[in-house]
Amino acid sequence: MPDRFVSQPLELPAHTAEADFVRADLEFHGVDHSGLSYEARVFLNRLDADLDTPLEPGEDGGYAGSFYIFGHGGCFGDVGHCEVPTTRNPNDKRLPHPLTPHTKTVIVTEEVRRIRDSTDSDQLTVTVVADVYDVGDLPVGRDAAEPLLFDSISLVTYETPPPLPPVSPAEAERPAPEPE
Amino acid sequence: MNAHAHHAATPKPLLRHRKNVELLRPDQLEALRQAFAQLNKISSNVVTDNRGYQYLAGLHGLPGQYCQHGDPPGSDPLFLPWHRAYLYVFELALRDQAADASLAWWDWTSPASHANGIPQAFDTAQVNGQPNPLAKAPVQPAARQSGRPTETFRSPRAPSSLPSADRIRQILSLRSFSDFTAQLEDVHNRVHGWVGGTMGIIPWAAYDPIFWAHHTNIDRLWRIWQLRHPQRFSDRFLNTALPPFPLTVEQTLNIKPLGYDYASSTTHVPGTHA
Repeated sequence: MPDRFVSQPLELPAHTAEADFVRADLEFHGVDHSGLSYEARVFLNRLDADLDTPLEPGEDGGYAGSFYIFGHGGCFGDVGHCEVPTTRNPNDKRLPHPLTPHTKTVIVTEEVRRIRDSTDSDQLTVTVVADVYDVGDLPVGRDAAEPLLFDSISLVTYETPPPLPPVSPAEAERPAPEPE
Repeated sequence: MNAHAHHAATPKPLLRHRKNVELLRPDQLEALRQAFAQLNKISSNVVTDNRGYQYLAGLHGLPGQYCQHGDPPGSDPLFLPWHRAYLYVFELALRDQAADASLAWWDWTSPASHANGIPQAFDTAQVNGQPNPLAKAPVQPAARQSGRPTETFRSPRAPSSLPSADRIRQILSLRSFSDFTAQLEDVHNRVHGWVGGTMGIIPWAAYDPIFWAHHTNIDRLWRIWQLRHPQRFSDRFLNTALPPFPLTVEQTLNIKPLGYDYASSTTHVPGTHA
């Protein structure tokens, strides 16, 4: 059986018509990718969604998009090999631990706007349904029946487009050269 | 002079072009097959030879475990630069064995892919009575767990469920690098899962020859996005090394100094010195 997750209600954004949001993101934080590979189908206000639920948006909710996990298939080392360090020395120049949890973002602008405009509810419930990919008899790590593991979900809306350059570690200092 | 000999005798430009696998000429596809076959032969003679297919495929997952994915908090997204460096080293290894070989991309959004799935060049089991080196590859003992897998295999889903061209157009319109790389990596994950089998999981994905065509398409899409959205990056990001490859992030940002570019197809004729 695929794994399912139903969130607690998230508050819909209280934007005004004069300052409406131009983008809405569902951010999934702390997503584990140590095991299986799968598609995480994201439904809004569809508490009963499962693998048979059509991948179609609706006026009052429905399918909003998916994120995809390319899994590591388990731990292939001695004891401690797959333990992600909780602290990091600033002088440690090694690249991050490969199993450091990911953040996955599903852009849901139209779906959230449609729900807000067509219902009286000021809340949104997220249902996530995992569709696991077929890797035959290969090792897949932890319990194949429960692929979904993540810390939290955020609904983030923007009144203006996300800033450019982005507020991220890869933020700009100098231009990327072009050879032409 | 037949067509193949004519092409072989024509001097080639220094810049190599990675092409659409659906548009490869027979001699171009044959060069790619020959190069893969030679890398396999090296590995079958001495599995640890660092010019061979097993050594190179083993850098991604098992046993090397070097690949970079995702956006670890407090770190930089290295997915695109690391895989560009990987393709660069792999393509040079191919060309060491077949000078005319270059990587080809699999456009999984194309009508042909949505009708047929994996391109015929990578799907046909045999060519001229011999195993097609683009269809599957062995997996070295050092990468196996409990004795498996011994070779690559696939379990593809319905061709119509491959990513759409509209989805790629949306991603190419994103303006910030962090946004772009996150969404493109997500589609990349989806195609790995779609192919399934050894391609569907990190430890063994790079052993499947279709891995290289898939990632060449990802690299091409990054190239297209770069031309539309020049970015500014921090020194920290630019100076990050990409082990085990002899490149930093900055050295991956421009592909022409790496000796390649993308073209749908190429053809050449002799000039006045021929």
